[in-house]
Amino acid sequence: MKWRLRSEVRRCRPLLGTFVEIIAGGIAEDLLHAALDSAFVAIDRIQRLMSAHDPASELSRLNAEAFRHPVVVSAETFIVLRRALDLSAESRGAFDPTIAPILAHWGLLPARLKRKRPGSWLDVSLLPGRKVRFSRPLTLDLGGIAKGFAIDAAIETLRAAGARSATVNAGGDLRVFGSPINVHIRHPAAPQLLSQRIELSEGALATSCPCFTQHFWRRCKVSHLVDPRCGTATTRTISVSVRAPECWLADGLTKVVLYDPKAARGLLAKYGAQALVLTA
Amino acid sequence: MSDWIHRILLPPAIIIGAGAIPCYAAAYLTAEQAQKLCFAEATEFVSADVKLTREQIKAIEKESGVRVRLDVQKVWRAQAGGQLLGWVIQDEVLGKHEFIQWALALNADGTVRQIEILDYRETYGYEIRQETWRAQFAGKRNGAKLRLDEDIKNISGATLSCRHITDGVKRLLSFYEVALKK
Repeated sequence: MKWRLRSEVRRCRPLLGTFVEIIAGGIAEDLLHAALDSAFVAIDRIQRLMSAHDPASELSRLNAEAFRHPVVVSAETFIVLRRALDLSAESRGAFDPTIAPILAHWGLLPARLKRKRPGSWLDVSLLPGRKVRFSRPLTLDLGGIAKGFAIDAAIETLRAAGARSATVNAGGDLRVFGSPINVHIRHPAAPQLLSQRIELSEGALATSCPCFTQHFWRRCKVSHLVDPRCGTATTRTISVSVRAPECWLADGLTKVVLYDPKAARGLLAKYGAQALVLTA
Repeated sequence: MSDWIHRILLPPAIIIGAGAIPCYAAAYLTAEQAQKLCFAEATEFVSADVKLTREQIKAIEKESGVRVRLDVQKVWRAQAGGQLLGWVIQDEVLGKHEFIQWALALNADGTVRQIEILDYRETYGYEIRQETWRAQFAGKRNGAKLRLDEDIKNISGATLSCRHITDGVKRLLSFYEVALKK
C-alpha cells in the first residue's frame, strides 16, 4: 500500500436533489476513498429519513399519520425537528418548516403535499420518547434545514475517519474544515454570473436565492422562498448567504435574514454567524 | 465584526466577452477509477459495449419515458474469477449548459449499486468590476490564456438540480432490462 500523506480525493454524487461534492485530504488515498464512501452513505441516510419528495421517507410517514396519532421517529429526525422548531420560535415564525402546502399549490412540490387549511410550526408538538404529533393536518418540509444537517453529518463522518481537511458542497450549501477555501457567490440577477468571493477556513456557508426556481403560476410570479407569515413568495433580485459554525444553522438562518432582517440580527449574533445580502 | 448583516448593492449584471467566460470544471474520476471504486472485489472489468437497435431504443424510451440520445452505450462487466458481480455503465446527460459524464454501477440482479459523477463542467460569466475577483488573478496573467477553471472550486447561490441524472438512471435501468439482462 502506498502512503502518500499529501493526497487529496474529490468525488461527486447526485444526492439531496443536487450534486454533492466532497473533497478530503491528509491521509492515504485508499482511506480517503473509504471515508468519502461513508460520508456519502451518511448523506443518503438523512435523505431517506427526511426527504419530503420521497413517499417512503420517515418524514412522509409523519405527514401522513402524525395528525391522527403520535409517531415515533429516528433520533436524527427528532434532532432536526427540534432545531427547526427552536429556530421557528426564535425567529417568531420567519423560519417555518410547514410551508410545503403553499409550494405544492404552486407546483414546486408534489401535489400530495397540499393541505386545505395549512397550519404553522405552532401545530407541531415534540413529545417524550421521540414522538411527534400534529394538532391539525400539516406537511412538514425540512428542506430548509435538513440539507445543512446532512452536510454536517458528512463532515462528522470524514473527521471521524481521520481526514485532516475536507469540504462538503451540496449545490452551494457547504461546510469546510482543515484548509481554507474560496467560495464564489452567484449574482442574484443571473445565476450564470459569479459575483462576490468569500474565504472560508472553518465552518459553513449557505445561500438562498429565488432566481432559479422562479416561475409563473396563474400569471403570478412565485418561487420556492415563501415568507411563512404572509404566504407570499420572494421574487426580488436578492441573494442571502449566511456563514455559521454549522451548516444546518447557515441553511436555516438564510430564510430568517430574508424575511425578518431585524430579528435575524440578534440570532446571527447569538449563533456566531454573519450574513451577506446581495441585491441588484 | 461591527455588523452582523453586510449588504452589497451590485451593479447590473454584465456578461463580458465570450473569450473570457470562466468555467467550473471538475474531473472527478476516470472510468477506470470509477469501476474499481464501485467493485473493489472485482478482478477484471470486461468491456461489453452495446450498440442499440432501433427497436431497442424504442423499447427503452417507451419504458423509461426518457429520450435515448446515443445508440452506443459503454458497458463493462465486473467479474471476480469469471463470476459476474455486476455492470458499470458510462453515460452522459446534459447539465445546465454542458454534458455531465457519469457512471452507474448495477449489481448482478440489476439493482442500483452506486452512482459516480466522472466529469462535471459549467460555464460562467463574472462581474468585471468585482475587485476581489480580479485580485484573485493578480500575478497569474502573463499574456497567456487564463486558466480560470482551476480557480473556481466552490460556488454558492441558487442550487442546480440533478434531475437529469435521475432521468438518466431511469433510462439506464430500462437499458438493462432491454439489452443486458439475460
